[in-house]
Parts: sequence; structure tokens; C-alpha cells
Amino acid sequence: MTRKPWRKNLYENQEYPDNYTDNSFLQELKVNVHFKPITFRDGALGATLVVHELCTITAFVLIYVYLYNEWIDPNYIFYWTSSVTMLGFAIYRIKFSTGEKHMFGHDLQTVLIFLVFGQLFSPVLYTLTDTISTDTIYTMTFLMMLVHLIFFDYGVSAAIVSNSLSLSAAVFASICLSSRLTSPYQAFILMTVSIKCFVLFPLLRNKIKKSFSLTIIFVTLVGYFLLTVSVLMTFIFIFTVVFLNVVCPFLFTKYQEYKDNIYGPWDEAIVQTIDGTE
Amino acid sequence: MSRTICMMSDFFYPNMGGVEEHIFNLSQCLLDNGNKVIIVTHSYGKRIGIRYMTNGLKVYYLPIKVVYNQCILPTLLCNVPLIRYIFIRENVDIVHGHSAFSALAHEGLLIGNMMGIKTVFTDHSLFGFADASAVITNKLLEISLSACNHCICVSYTGKENTVLRARVNKERVSVIPNAVDTYMFHPMPYLRSKENITIVIVSRLVYRKGVDLMAQIIAEICPKYAEVNFVIGGDGPKRWLIEEIRERNGLQHRISLLGTLEHSQVKNVLNQGHIFLNTSLTEAYCMAIVEAASCGLLVVSTKVGGIPEVLPEELIYLTEPTVPALMEGLETAIHDLKNGKSVCPYVCNNRIRQLYNWENVTARTEIVYDRIFGEKQGTVRERYERYLSSGVWPFLAIVSFCHLVLTFLEIFVPRKNIDIAKNFPLKSSKKGSIKNTQNFIK
Repeated sequence: MTRKPWRKNLYENQEYPDNYTDNSFLQELKVNVHFKPITFRDGALGATLVVHELCTITAFVLIYVYLYNEWIDPNYIFYWTSSVTMLGFAIYRIKFSTGEKHMFGHDLQTVLIFLVFGQLFSPVLYTLTDTISTDTIYTMTFLMMLVHLIFFDYGVSAAIVSNSLSLSAAVFASICLSSRLTSPYQAFILMTVSIKCFVLFPLLRNKIKKSFSLTIIFVTLVGYFLLTVSVLMTFIFIFTVVFLNVVCPFLFTKYQEYKDNIYGPWDEAIVQTIDGTE
Repeated sequence: MSRTICMMSDFFYPNMGGVEEHIFNLSQCLLDNGNKVIIVTHSYGKRIGIRYMTNGLKVYYLPIKVVYNQCILPTLLCNVPLIRYIFIRENVDIVHGHSAFSALAHEGLLIGNMMGIKTVFTDHSLFGFADASAVITNKLLEISLSACNHCICVSYTGKENTVLRARVNKERVSVIPNAVDTYMFHPMPYLRSKENITIVIVSRLVYRKGVDLMAQIIAEICPKYAEVNFVIGGDGPKRWLIEEIRERNGLQHRISLLGTLEHSQVKNVLNQGHIFLNTSLTEAYCMAIVEAASCGLLVVSTKVGGIPEVLPEELIYLTEPTVPALMEGLETAIHDLKNGKSVCPYVCNNRIRQLYNWENVTARTEIVYDRIFGEKQGTVRERYERYLSSGVWPFLAIVSFCHLVLTFLEIFVPRKNIDIAKNFPLKSSKKGSIKNTQNFIK
């Protein structure tokens, strides 16, 4: 006796037992539908963003070390970083101008407010954590900078990205460090540098196209100054950069072949929500 | 053959929904066929202890606190003494858990399995594979089902989904659809408006039911067809979206929002309409469209999950889950209605009656029960090995602890000291009394 062919519906298959499995079972299963393979070059370029942020943090800490040991005149640092910032600002405004009218006065006002309040509060800052051991402060700074690195917005829309948390962590770390310095003026300088590094610099870097040459310049500069502080740290730094920029992208591209995303008729349809929530 | 079946789920009356209805109707039919059925669920407010429902259906409302989404805390172990007591007291032969989201069902499956009772699990929902929460839930389900004797899914898509995410052997999975009480959902065309066309929507107003699509369609249809009105039953966090559309376009007189409906009211609301619209984004079976078709409405629905399997082509307009596609489907339905091309409501009702009825569902479920009756439950070691097949070693600690607690209880609360519950003296345990049951739910 021949049976009617099995069909995927719930009302026509009386002749088949309920646990019958047809050959068409899982035929609609699709694997890796939206999969775009990433080349090593893409991966490494993406990794440079992490390296850039790592360089920024290292540079910031180096400036702290120089100030703390009084190897350099605070004014000298202020002038240098300020002129670099001015240059960056000019590039940002002229080259990456989005067409809308910019309020130069508004920018100037922000700078003035920052300078006044920075000056006012730096006497509080530099004695803020006098009762706390320096080791604790350094550990705290390390942890906060780690938080900054983890939650920093590298341009990937992931749930973990949080600009505010990342920035707050960096500012908190800078306050910790500046409270170790000996004079309010030094503390003020360090806070200024911190704002330049963690607020303004990422804004500019966002606009610049990813490139390896920029990374090499950064790493060399930071590496050179780090060498004046500690040879061991320089080696660790270089090792970390290589790990981040070469080993990680390599592993990422290599393990892509194990990617196995399953799609099928059971997936929830995606609609554009009107109110932007789920 | 008489068996004692224990249905376990967090979801039961006074809660209302597809799972609850399924458990109730299945239990009633099983009782009718001469089985003994008890239901174990958690307490709802003051509803604690043992209650009897129609035809002596015994319901245990366990005094367990509800934690999240109508579920108990999934401790897997805390209620072992209580549940063991019930299983022994009621002489349970088969534990039947319902719904993957129910912690109580999984707990019952574990304890039942460790006590050497046969276990069946019915999965009522679909689940994706995309995010972290899905990965964890799927692993938990895999562990729980690895020792289960048989699984039941409500559609073939559901079976594919369950086999994939819980890695169950596909021979151990049966597809038994839900059914609908076609006597309760019968057409009452005299309730329909003569001048206007009414589109009915009955669903919870949540994201998964496609409220966003719904709102956009309402905003597009209303200006285009002056004779079309909407009746929307159900409530939820996205209700304001519909309300906003209604306010902004001045459609207060054409869209009535009824809020949460009693199950007995649903048929009256359905019968006011000509067209039923379902905008779900995912659905394993979708009881609502079958109920609507049973009332003789034209059904327009998104083509997601198990929905394409449910109704024959002539009874449903299937569309992609986008606004333009749904609009096209609705417009076709409206034109068919105007040109008299629609199927007669009574013919519709008859078709559904042939396709889905609870007697049939029950008979098929009993086949599953018979099938697993012959299976050997295995030694403790073999049960452990089955749990290990999911590869999660730490879970063995829970399983063995459960075994220890059961052994311990065997000494301190011995089996012989537990009174066996008397059966409810069911007078008419013959076919036909199902009618009375269904009258009760009305």
C-alpha cells in the first residue's frame, strides 16, 4: 500500500505516526546567512583602534611619571600638549568640517570654563587622597584604565560599549593619579592632559581613517619615552602591542571557519520598531 | 488502559493562555477516557492547596513563591520532598511537563525520572539561537530533556527547533498539534456589522506579537478604507502605541480597544469581525488563528514559525512579516469579502472541526503514553549517564544530590507511611461527557 507523500502541515498526515521524521526534516535550516569573512588585514586594522587607545593611556601615564619625578617643567608639558591640541582642533574643524556653522565662540567658552574650574579645584584635587596609600591608588588607576579600555567605543555596536562609563573610568583614574602630585599646578596640568587624551583625542581619531602608519608612529613615540622610564615595561608594552595587533587578529581570522550560526523558520521576524524599543 | 498522569507546569488556571488551555482540555479528555489526571502547579494568590475542577480534575497548587514571569525559582531541589510525596500519594505513572519556560515542569521531570517514573515533555514555544540567553536556555533544556522519555511538539517547525536546540533524538519527538473547541468557537454571523467591515485582533500587545506592524497597518488601512473598523482585544506594555495612533489620526470611533478579555468573551469578540489579523513575529502553533477560523473569519497572518502548517491554503492569507505584504494580504481579504468570494463561516467551522479536535489530540497523546510504558527506566547509573550525554558534568552533582535526598526521604518519610489518595468517584466516565466539560469553560 502506498501512502500519500508526507507534507509539512498538521492536518494531512494521518497515515504517518506522530514521531515520523521526513527526509525534508531541517531542510529549511540555513547556516551563516549574514556571514562576511574578515581578512587578516581587516582584523589587524580594527585592532589598531585598541592599540591606539592603549598608546593614549600609556602616554598619559608617562606624562604623570615625568611630572611626579619632576623630570620636566610642568609648563613645558602644558605648552606642548596645548599646541598639539590646537593643531588637532584646526585639522578637525577645517578638514572634517561637516558643513554646519561652527560656533568658535562657543568652543572658546567651554575652554575658559574648564580652565577656570580646573584652576579652582586643583588645590582640592592634589590632596584629595592623602590618606590613601600610593599602592592602592596605582592599583585603582590600573583597574579603572582597564575598565576604560573594555567599555571604550571602538565603533562596533555591541551591548558592552558604554561611552559614559569608559570616560568616567578614565577621568576617575586621572583624578587618582593627580592626587599624588606635589603641587596644585601639576595636578591641574595632569587633569588638562587627561581631558585632551580621553575626551578630545578620540573625537579626532574617529575621523581619521584607520592606517598602520599612524599606529607605527604612535607605538614608536610611546615606546621611546617608555624606554627612558623602564626597559622591562617597554618590552611588555611592545609584546602587548604585537599580541593585540598580530596574534589576536590572526586567531580571529583562523577560527572563523568554526563559525556556525543557525537560522530557520523558528527565528523571530525582525521589524522596524516605531518607538525604537523592544 | 487506565494510567495516572501528572501534568506539571507553572502555567495553569487562573492564568490564561495557550499552554493553560492545552493542559486543561487534554486533562479533561484523558479523564474521559478513564485515566486519572492530576495537575501540579504553583499557587496563585490565595489559590493554595488542592482544588477540584470539572469532572474531578484534581489540581495541586503548591505553596511556592513566584519569582519571575509566573515561574518559580528554578532550584530543582527545594521542592523534592513535596513533589515526591504527591507522586507517591497519587501513584503517578507518567509525569507530563509543559512548556520550556516552566521551572516547575523541569523540576517535576527531574524528580520523576530519579524516582523511576516515565516522563513526557510538551514544548509549546520556539526559541532562536542568536544571543547569549538563548544559548543558556537551550543548554538547560538539553540537560532536562536528555533523560526525558518522549517529547511532544505542537508543530513540525517546533520539532525541528526542539531537535536542534535540545539535541533530542528525532525518533523520540512526536508532533501533536493543539486543538480548538469548535463547539465553543462556532460562527454567529448575526453579530457582524452589516454596513462595515470589522477587522479583529486578539493578542497580548507585546513586541513578539508584532504590535509595531499592527500600529502601522492600522494607520494605513483606516484612511484608505472608510468602511473598515478595528476591534482589538488584549493588553500589554505596547498598548500605548495603538492608543497613540488612534489619538493622532482621530480614529476613536473606528478602533475599539477592549483590554484583557476573559476566555469566554473571546468568541463574542471574534464573531463581531469579518477578518482576523495576526501579526506575530514568531509562533509555534498559534491557537488564535484557529479559533478565528473556527468562527468563520477570514484569517490574515504573518508567515512565521509554525503558522504555515496550521491552516489549509483556502482558509488563510499568508504574508511576509512586513507592512506592505500585510497590507496586500488584508486588501485581498477585503476585496474577497466584498465580492463574496469568502468561504462560508459554517463550512469553515466544519473544516476546523475535522482538522483539529481534542479527542484526536488526546488519542495521539495516549499513543505516546503507551509507547513509553514499555520502555525500561534503567538503573541509577544509566540515568546518570543519560544526563551526562549533554556534556555538563556539574549537573551530575544536582542529579546525585536529588538521588541522595530521595534516598534520605525513603528512610525518614517511608513510602508505607504515605496515605494513598482515593480516586474521585467519577460517575459517567464514558465518551460524550466532554460536552459538559466544554460547557463549564464557557
